[in-house]
Amino acid sequence: MAQTLAHSVTEVHGETAHHHELSFFRKYIWSEDHKTIALQYLFASLFFLMVGGLLALGVRYQLAFPGTPVPVIGKLLPRWLVTDAGAIQPGGYNALFTMHATVMVFLVVMPLLVGVFGNFLIPLKIGAGDMAFPFFNALSFWLFLLSGFILLASFFTPTGFPAAGWTSYAPLSSHASYNGTQAGQSLWCVGLFVNGLASIAGAMNYITTVINMRAPGMKMFRLPLAVWALLVTAFLLLLAVPVLSAAAAMLFFDLNFGTSFFSASNYGQPLLWQHLFWFFGHPEVYILILPAMGLTSEILPVFSRKPIFGYKAMVFAMVAIGVLGFIVWGHHMFVSGMNLMLSAVFSFSTMVIAVPSAIKTFNWLGTVWRGSIRFTTPMCFALGFVSMFVIGGLSGIFMASTPVDLFIHHTYFVVAHIHYVLFGGSLFAIFGAIYFWFPKMFGRMTNEFWGKVHFFLTLTFFNLTFFPMHNLGLNGMMRRIADPTQYDHLRSQQPINVLITLSAFGLGLSTIVFFINFFYSIFKGPKAPRNPWNSTTLEWTVPSPPGHGNFDVTPTVYHGPYEYSVPGMEQDFLPQNQPVPEAARLMPH
Amino acid sequence: MQATAALTVDHLPPQPPPNVIRFGMLTFLASEAMLFGGLIGGYIVLRSGAGPGWQMPEALKNPTTMAQTFVATIMLLSSSFTLHFSEVRILRGQRGGRLLLLLTLVLGGCFLANQAHEWFSLYHEGFWFNTAGIMGSSFFVLTGFHGMHVFIGALLLLAALVRTALGLITPERHAFLDCSSLYWHFVDIVWIFLFTILYIL
Repeated sequence: MAQTLAHSVTEVHGETAHHHELSFFRKYIWSEDHKTIALQYLFASLFFLMVGGLLALGVRYQLAFPGTPVPVIGKLLPRWLVTDAGAIQPGGYNALFTMHATVMVFLVVMPLLVGVFGNFLIPLKIGAGDMAFPFFNALSFWLFLLSGFILLASFFTPTGFPAAGWTSYAPLSSHASYNGTQAGQSLWCVGLFVNGLASIAGAMNYITTVINMRAPGMKMFRLPLAVWALLVTAFLLLLAVPVLSAAAAMLFFDLNFGTSFFSASNYGQPLLWQHLFWFFGHPEVYILILPAMGLTSEILPVFSRKPIFGYKAMVFAMVAIGVLGFIVWGHHMFVSGMNLMLSAVFSFSTMVIAVPSAIKTFNWLGTVWRGSIRFTTPMCFALGFVSMFVIGGLSGIFMASTPVDLFIHHTYFVVAHIHYVLFGGSLFAIFGAIYFWFPKMFGRMTNEFWGKVHFFLTLTFFNLTFFPMHNLGLNGMMRRIADPTQYDHLRSQQPINVLITLSAFGLGLSTIVFFINFFYSIFKGPKAPRNPWNSTTLEWTVPSPPGHGNFDVTPTVYHGPYEYSVPGMEQDFLPQNQPVPEAARLMPH
Repeated sequence: MQATAALTVDHLPPQPPPNVIRFGMLTFLASEAMLFGGLIGGYIVLRSGAGPGWQMPEALKNPTTMAQTFVATIMLLSSSFTLHFSEVRILRGQRGGRLLLLLTLVLGGCFLANQAHEWFSLYHEGFWFNTAGIMGSSFFVLTGFHGMHVFIGALLLLAALVRTALGLITPERHAFLDCSSLYWHFVDIVWIFLFTILYIL
């Protein structure tokens, strides 16, 4: 009897908890609400997006106008970056592209996909009140922010940013006398270690939440594809990131304490760094694209008013990509001196990944095929994602093939490929997802016209920036050279470099359109209803923005997530928490 | 007495069910396993590539050190058993659970003490991470990472002991003890691998 009473008291306590007025600190700083944490991630990573973008513009300025002083801010920059006249130094150029990539991978795309949408969508889409471990969720965000500041802190050291590339290949990275940036490179190791802790805390939370905390009726095969994508991603994070942590620790010891893991002079192996880094690095590539695929798979059916084509095939394709992602890392090392037989194996396993990726692409096309398409801003970005991802995926097949890769590996072709996947792929999907879930996050709509302007400017300038890089690469322009004009065969290519740089600045300006629309809409956008897009998944059944605890009553789920235009029904969508009417004829789930 | 304990527990914030917390801990340990997987994988690659550069120091070869480390290994492994029986007793509300938990801590402490002693004597022999080539680097980083984990595990068990004494861990509410003990068992299993590759092979 006493036990029953105690139990019911706890329940009442749990339900009324959201009426408690939380202190400012608990509400906005150390918040354990997954929605607030998602917004913290959003603002932090948009800040880092601006930082990473500015670094990219620095890189582009140097490549188009090598040796000329940077206008306006040139003289203000520290001496490790620019000469006395204010022109970017070769070493400073290395620092710029190193930090551009590090920031974009670890502080922008990863937190935007996993931190923002993982946090915001998982509990709402599975019908849970919050994550399984809210404390570790909050801890994860603050560790992430700390790691960002650790990485950027190297700006203020006398030798500046690390400059060994985002891959930090040993022995360049492991000997201070080679890289000349001991402080920066050490901070890089520490920053990535802390960033890894944040990722692991997040991944542990996501997996536990999805497996254990789904609402009644939410079977695994009724999960929205975004949740599946984030679940697979969480497994990749959980198993790949600690290997980078181990490698970063070893690099840190080599650099500062005189161990010899990566130094050939003491029987260490420089190549071991590449193996450890890419054992993490290749799953990382899928960490950066799988959630984007999941988010796109949410947007396309809504604006095609059709069920997703081949739900289970989509799920199995993502699981296959996740598993295969662990056995292809060697394809980054074809030119590092590898046994030919082994290189053939890696080549084969890499090409096998094209199969599940193609399954996904064809299924997206199948979803849109003969749908009644609404060209909203999120839909434009989702279609942009599919198109750009196809270009990036196809150029990936060139590099999977060892004989071709030997010629293009250290050229701008690789730079074009990575940006088609990471910007044209991930970042397009992220923009689409921000426009799509903005009403749910902030309770207001974004401006449709300026969203379209943002989309078309981005699409145009993105392709003008990155497509010519394919040509530059095939014409022999190497990666990571500070001054292309010093080579005879590249001097004739210089106009392409200038075009790319001008387009890159255009791309930067188009992002300003996004930021203005974003911040204006937070305060002045029209109020959003619960379900502005007539969507079926659970997050659209609660108010915009949802209250603390998400659902007043735990929802019951009756069918799969993509029931649009169901035959025999008047309304063209059937939310997951509504029972299936007699007349409706659903696809079996 | 019973009532007071129940009252203390009821005033704590609600937790997810114990099996969910346990599940979360297991995912975390999978991640830890990959951390050691990376380190051990690196070790195997380095060792097989080093050839003549792989030089075992005298201190690790001599029978006394081997015997001491062997005893320490036995102590660490038996601490898993004392921990298990301590957990069983605490969860059943039987006497002696706390004593066994204390015994576990003592055994873990002995292991750490032996490791500190071993590092000390290696240092005096001139075998240190930055002087003994790749063998030295690998030995100290692997044992160092593991030792740090044993230390954290011991802190967790100490916290569990204090919480048990305060009545915060009861047969109904024992997630903290569960997780600490999973962590401890994991650290023990890792040591079996490390002992094999560092001392035996």
